[in-house]
Amino acid sequence: MKRENLVWHILRDILLACGFILILAPMYLVIVNSFKSLEEAGRDFFALPSSLNFNNYTELVSKNSYWSYAWNSTYISVISMSLVAMVVPAVSYAIARNYHKTYYKAVYFYILIGLFVPGQVIMLPITKHMTALKMLNPAGLILLYITLSLTRGVFLFVNYIRALPIEIEEAARIDGCNTIQVYTKVVLFLIGPMLATLVIMDVLWFWNDFMLPLLMLSKSPDYWTLPLFQYNFKTQYSFNYTMAFTAYLLSMLPIIVIYCAGQKYIIQGLTAGAVKG
Amino acid sequence: MKKRRPQSLDNYTFLFFTLPAVILYTYFYIYSLITGIGYSFTNWNGIDPTYEFNGLRNYALLMQNPRFWNSLRVTLVYGVMLLFSVIIMSLLLALCLDSLKRFKTFTKSIFFFPAMISAVAISLIWDQLFYRAVPVIGETLGIAALSQSPLANPKLALVGVVFVNAWQAVAMPTLIFLAGLQSIPAEMHESAMIDGASPFERFRHITFPYLLPTVTVNMVLTIKQGITTFDFPFALSAGTGGPARSTEVIGIMIYNDAFQSMKFSMANAEAVILFIIIAFFSFIQIKVSSKGGVN
Repeated sequence: MKRENLVWHILRDILLACGFILILAPMYLVIVNSFKSLEEAGRDFFALPSSLNFNNYTELVSKNSYWSYAWNSTYISVISMSLVAMVVPAVSYAIARNYHKTYYKAVYFYILIGLFVPGQVIMLPITKHMTALKMLNPAGLILLYITLSLTRGVFLFVNYIRALPIEIEEAARIDGCNTIQVYTKVVLFLIGPMLATLVIMDVLWFWNDFMLPLLMLSKSPDYWTLPLFQYNFKTQYSFNYTMAFTAYLLSMLPIIVIYCAGQKYIIQGLTAGAVKG
Repeated sequence: MKKRRPQSLDNYTFLFFTLPAVILYTYFYIYSLITGIGYSFTNWNGIDPTYEFNGLRNYALLMQNPRFWNSLRVTLVYGVMLLFSVIIMSLLLALCLDSLKRFKTFTKSIFFFPAMISAVAISLIWDQLFYRAVPVIGETLGIAALSQSPLANPKLALVGVVFVNAWQAVAMPTLIFLAGLQSIPAEMHESAMIDGASPFERFRHITFPYLLPTVTVNMVLTIKQGITTFDFPFALSAGTGGPARSTEVIGIMIYNDAFQSMKFSMANAEAVILFIIIAFFSFIQIKVSSKGGVN
């Protein structure tokens, strides 16, 4: 091997190793300290725990509230995602296959207005609107998630569907399918990869979102999702930081498990979404 | 051959497909957007049943408000710092990952991991690490500036917040760069190697020109992300934008003016100004992404 290549490879490996440390060190500290009592962590923040002490875990899990936050996060994410998966591909299909008609083209550009509006601009009036409708609750949040996921979803799907060959759909029509049958029996299969991308992007967003739950669900702890629980942990308890680490870790656990199981597909899906979006 | 269905029935089906989206979007999004812009021309505090139209007064007051200018400056500095750190780190990282022969998928998945966790969890974890680990490091190395958490120091707090944000934000552009690198035909590198080009020369004359559109796309995405930041500075400063307003980005100012200081219409005026800034960057985004990038 040439010398320059060798130098580059050594530099590269050093750089990657530094990156590894930067990413894994916080996780290491969170995990080891979640097994320590406050005193033990105070004595040495960096060391491995003296024993596998699950006190923080049992105390946290024995509180009903933790399960209630986890349940809120779960059902809000799952219901929002299911509804998004019903609404976004349908409207995108209608737009993509009728793009030459004024109405559908107008709907497309209408929905793309959202590309220009950052979250902070819409957050104030939308909160007032939802307050007036008495919908500062998980149902209101789910409706907002569907609405706010439209712009990115439609943008991705319309371009994706327009690039699909129309002949397959025409063949189905000749076989006697109507539009709904063409959609459910043919199109939904063709857009499968894009649907996977949308699910990954949006579930990550719903699960990890902080700003909208802060605005919509702050009023009652019964409604809190895991990010709100994490944020409020500091004020809610006299601050026990080893316990806080345990709480953060337990809140991240579902995502970590899913990521370990499907990281290849998650990375593929997100790349597809980012590169086309 | 079967008789084709009447065209009109199909048209109704397509129309029906668009209805849920159009109704939700109009009722929640567009309605809110318009009322929000409307509120910015009133004196509503967000609570009272009545309010009056007061024209451009909110905007005039904002122009004279040093807090607003401070917050614009903080936002801009934040965006620029995030831009440079993220683009440089993710480009380097993508080049490193791309040239790996073994453990490529595994290494990629470690570096992508931060994108999986919530900004709040990341912020709160780093907050604790800054508070507990940085003084130890500062003492060992004898650096006075690191004797306390950077977040407690008005001069370093913004750098601290950007660091935490970048820790997560590097992941996505790295993936986009990797996709860009993979679109470079392998023969280009092979023939350059046969001609005796050094790795740096190959980067300069092959990789970089190919990657340029991707760099632009990533830059626009990152600067937008920086200017609209909320979760990181909010969670890292416990919602205050402190110390001494050093991390009070525009998003935090809007939130606190609207929901803490009861200046709802003023906050809407601030939001409209942010809207204009972001719209400008979005136009650039559409221009550069329609020019290509990776496909």
